Amino acid sequence: MSTILTHIAIADGKIKRSSLEVLSHCKKLADKNGHSVEAVVISDKASSHIDGIKKYGASKIYVVEDSTFKNHINTPILKALAKVMEKVNPSVFAFASTESTKDILGALAANQGAAVLSDVSSFELTSGGIVGKRPVMAAKIVANSEAKGEKVLVSVRSGSYELAESPAEAEVVNIDFSMDESEIQVTLREIISSTGDAIDLNEAEAIVAAGRGVKDEEGQNLITELADVLKAGIGASRALTESGVYDPSLQIGQTGKVVSPQLYIAVGISGAIQHVAGMANSKVIVAINKDADAPIFDIADYGIVGDLYKVLPPFIEEIKKIKN
Amino acid sequence: MKFYVCIKMVPDVNAPIQIKDGKFIQDADRMILNAYDASAVEEALVLSEKHDGEVEVVCIGPSKASETIRKALAMGADKATHILTTGDTKYDSGTYAQILAKFFTDKEFEVLALGKQSQDTDAGLTGSMVAELLHLPYATNAVGLEVEDENLIVKRQGDFGQEIIELPTPCVVTCSNDMNEPRIPNLKGIMASKRKPFDQVELSSLGMNENQLIADSAVLSYEEKPERQAGKKFEGDAEDIAREVAQLLDNEANVI
Ligand SMILES: Cc1cc2nc3c(=O)[nH]c(=O)nc-3n(C[C@H](O)[C@H](O)[C@H](O)COP(=O)(O)OP(=O)(O)OC[C@H]3O[C@@H](n4cnc5c(N)ncnc54)[C@H](O)[C@@H]3O)c2cc1C
Ligand SMILES: Nc1ncnc2c1ncn2[C@@H]1O[C@H](COP(=O)(O)O)[C@@H](O)[C@H]1O
Repeated sequence: MSTILTHIAIADGKIKRSSLEVLSHCKKLADKNGHSVEAVVISDKASSHIDGIKKYGASKIYVVEDSTFKNHINTPILKALAKVMEKVNPSVFAFASTESTKDILGALAANQGAAVLSDVSSFELTSGGIVGKRPVMAAKIVANSEAKGEKVLVSVRSGSYELAESPAEAEVVNIDFSMDESEIQVTLREIISSTGDAIDLNEAEAIVAAGRGVKDEEGQNLITELADVLKAGIGASRALTESGVYDPSLQIGQTGKVVSPQLYIAVGISGAIQHVAGMANSKVIVAINKDADAPIFDIADYGIVGDLYKVLPPFIEEIKKIKN
Repeated sequence: MKFYVCIKMVPDVNAPIQIKDGKFIQDADRMILNAYDASAVEEALVLSEKHDGEVEVVCIGPSKASETIRKALAMGADKATHILTTGDTKYDSGTYAQILAKFFTDKEFEVLALGKQSQDTDAGLTGSMVAELLHLPYATNAVGLEVEDENLIVKRQGDFGQEIIELPTPCVVTCSNDMNEPRIPNLKGIMASKRKPFDQVELSSLGMNENQLIADSAVLSYEEKPERQAGKKFEGDAEDIAREVAQLLDNEANVI
């Protein structure tokens, strides 16, 4: 019997849904293969999340609580993760693929001499490690990949697995942590966050995404209005994050975020492969574009060929009616 | 200031690809400089112009990769080192990181820049692996760089906004293409690139041997991604089709 360890990410004081998706999957893998599934949470208020984690069936929960972890800084997080790995000795350590995970995964693998697969859309256990599916070539094709070793790290794209509650009484293990200022080396001066309390795109049920076709403030206002009626998050193509119209953290695609909402509305977006790489797993895709040949229509469930400035006002009005 | 930039030759994702018997087939001529590395080169050039520095690019790859290296030199990099491989090697981020770390062990520099990920595999691992192997502080996913005194100031796109991070030098940073628009080499740059120092070294000169470098991850096979079918396309009066689709999203797709 070996241990599958799952990392529980905390965002904005809450457990990130994507890490519970990963825990749900790991719990199933562990049950099927006779392994145990355990979880680790590293945060300034780590212990407040224990009850939330218990619902998903981890048999042990490692808690690393320290004020150092208020914001993401890679050196202390790496130190904590390495300490946990040495204590738990997991055969597989699974993460949700967040920007914070991407920051440390390679370093942790190098530090621990572990094999690693990043950003998989699914994975299974094998006798010597894991096999996983990785979208590659800007998500045009899938690489069936394997990682072999006594320790394997894996990060999983959000939305890859369903949440499955399976409450268990978990043993809670507190792990001491301390690190000298001088050891940290990396100084976080400030965080510039203009998205404020905007909806987390990884977890959004609906996303309205704006592209270059959204030319001016009038267009942006229509985007905001549509997002408001749908309680949707706002996303953007690179054309509009590059020009500074939207915050860079709203970029969806290969460079930006990979999302999988129930509803994705692409407004004035052509559908370049690098954009599609980030949204093709949405359940229902609506495209609004005045060019009937735009590639986005090849993957849209509902394609509206038309000028967004003429389409959006009645579209918004009709949705308002439906909502009432 | 000395900047090193690690650059990789990758297949062009825009070129046609085929999968045959689980193998990935693409025209060997469609190899390009990884877009994220082009941004790293651009940023290093801008900073070195400002701070009187030097930019050297390092690439591990088969002999064909020299074209990729030429491109970086034509952009303005001062020197290049090409670490040769035979071309049929199955290296992953971990093996490339080991080779790079070995190469950099005895090098002096202030900033070692990499791309945040390879454009073809999106692995995103090599940068932080190299940093860890060299025991250097690092930041990933940089969208802006500045030099302040002896420090590198990184603007990093994190989960919760943009972090401003201060790294003492020497350090490692991985770059996003959101950082800049890489310059297109002009004729003068292309001509000049032919006269720039260009070292070719064998793995053996680093005390390494291709047979000993074993990747612990591998691609077993490639497959088509489950195709999304194009759905219904609505053309005609903007107002009519807008209302019709809104209704369908409610009645048919059940997503409102
Ligand atoms: C390595 C790499 C990574 C990248 N990563 C990303 C990424 O993460 N995300 C991303 O988005 N891009 C990314 N890109 C860029 C990508 O290739 C495209 O350039 C970008 O997605 C284009 O954005 P767009 O669709 O908004 O603009 P365009 O391609 O210019 O399309 C604008 C569309 O708007 C339509 N339009 C114009 N006016 C109207 C109107 N009035 N009404 C309706 N429709 C209208 C046009 O018909 C057109 O189809 C990346 C590129 C590279 C090389
Ligand atoms: N063969 C290579 N030669 C030089 N640099 C490389 C090589 N492979 C990876 N890198 C660097 O690592 C980055 C990508 O890491 P990864 O996504 O893990 O493949 C690239 O942007 C390069 O900066």
